[in-house]
Amino acid sequence: MPEYRKIHGLGAEFPTAAALFHAAEKTRDKGFKRWDVHSPFPIHGMDQAMGLGKSWLSAVVLLGGLTGLFTAVVLEGYPSLIEYPVVVHGKPVTWATVPAFFPIFFELTILFSAFSAVGALLVFNQLPKWYHPLFNWERFTRVTDDGFFLVIEARDPKFSEASTRQFLEEIGGMHVTLVHD
Amino acid sequence: MQPEVFDSKHAGIPYLILAATGVAGIVGCVIGAMMDGRQLAFSWLFAFIYFFTLCAGCLFWILVHHATDAAWSVLVRRVLENVASLIPVCFLGIIPVLIYAPFLFHWWNLAPGEDPLLDAKRGYLNHTFFIVRTLLYFFILSGVALVLKRLSTRQDGDGNTWNSVYMRKIAVAGIPLFALSLTFGAFDWLMGLDYHWFSTMWGVYIFAGAAGSSMSLLVLLVTGLRRKGYLSCVTMEHYHIMGKLMLAFCVFWAYIGFSQYMLIWYADMPEETSYFLRRNVASWNALSIFLVCGRFFIPFPLLLLQGLKKNPKHLCMVAGWIVFMQAVDMYIIVMPMLHQRGFRPHILDLCTLAAIGSVLGLLFLKGLGKYNLIPLRDPRLKESLELTN
Repeated sequence: MPEYRKIHGLGAEFPTAAALFHAAEKTRDKGFKRWDVHSPFPIHGMDQAMGLGKSWLSAVVLLGGLTGLFTAVVLEGYPSLIEYPVVVHGKPVTWATVPAFFPIFFELTILFSAFSAVGALLVFNQLPKWYHPLFNWERFTRVTDDGFFLVIEARDPKFSEASTRQFLEEIGGMHVTLVHD
Repeated sequence: MQPEVFDSKHAGIPYLILAATGVAGIVGCVIGAMMDGRQLAFSWLFAFIYFFTLCAGCLFWILVHHATDAAWSVLVRRVLENVASLIPVCFLGIIPVLIYAPFLFHWWNLAPGEDPLLDAKRGYLNHTFFIVRTLLYFFILSGVALVLKRLSTRQDGDGNTWNSVYMRKIAVAGIPLFALSLTFGAFDWLMGLDYHWFSTMWGVYIFAGAAGSSMSLLVLLVTGLRRKGYLSCVTMEHYHIMGKLMLAFCVFWAYIGFSQYMLIWYADMPEETSYFLRRNVASWNALSIFLVCGRFFIPFPLLLLQGLKKNPKHLCMVAGWIVFMQAVDMYIIVMPMLHQRGFRPHILDLCTLAAIGSVLGLLFLKGLGKYNLIPLRDPRLKESLELTN
């Protein structure tokens, strides 16, 4: 039967987390850009082994937190000090009342930071995702059990079916398989 | 791993400086005792409590290290142990506090029947129980610190991993003992300055300051040793973690301090507001605002930066600042009870700081030379060496 589907990439299986770790280092050094590793559990130091660099998540969370702080300042300051300057609980209607606002400043900062962290996490990881070509590969289902996989995608500029397959086998990959979309 | 022992015999210049400041401080204190006993009493309490919180904070980090079976802190643990083992000496500083108690604690001089508020607290606030409690804190804190150091250094020799297990057990038992000692010590020595006033947050507030500033002190000490060529195995990953803990306790201090302030400020009840009213009179107000800004608003955004935490030089600047702000914090707690009209610095404040600090510093340098600078045969040493976070 002729294969008409697009190639997603080449996948290789590794026996242990350590083997996957070292394979990732070699793949990084080889200069591949579009590739990923899959394991049943997080592996310490894998981000460095893959050469991922610093995540942008913290910047997004900082922006979210500042937005929350700003929202709280406007939400409390404008009505309490400008629109309805009413004496409440015997506290003055000046900036000196600001300690009463701090809990809301704090809470909204945290709330917006948390929302932006979760939101950015979903966007960065391209979730939710209803379909992924890797699940066409039968062995890949073991990734939630005892399988360690490294997949180099076909859209990587350095990808070529023959040489990439050879490279994966060189670095110790087993069951090197062409995965289709 | 090669054994690394601090060469305390040839640490000439720091020794000389500490000896000089120590002598100057002690002479100053003696002269001060003859001229102005009241001022000396308060200055001494301020200096004592400052160094006590720093040492006790280091004990806290050791307890947490053992109780959580932590790996990252193995390399810096011996430095913490050396500071914490100063607690028995530091406690000698309580003797002048006890001698000068009539100057320091108003309740000390009141006979039964003079103040119904005090009579209601007599069961706790009386001379005998006060001294008994102080002795209890002394034995508990010194005991825990010395036993943990003993086991840790014994492991250097015999390499027995059971030592780690014993230390963990002692640490787990030691945490509640430590918490009670620090809390009630803070009640006795600081809250007791104004026996009418009370705050249930007080113990946590003192603890928050102690833990944050002693982590900063650790950063300074480790960097100092690294500059002298020791502890080269401490990497930027360790600095990163120490910086993160500084950040955490910077926020924790602000959280506790603000919680204490806001509840009192909002409820506005006379028996509670006295503390903050006293510390917002005249120039004390400026110093209180400086404390809030300097202890939280300045270090907080700086410590958020990852690059800063991984740069020893920059982290040391923030750490030094926090150690300084801890002194300001203790100053604002103690001194307004003496100078009620406003902030009035006195040369004795520096003399007492120099006297206690130099003695502790000298003993620290001397103690540093006795054992390895790292627990060489700790079972988690390898993990600590290969730390990534």
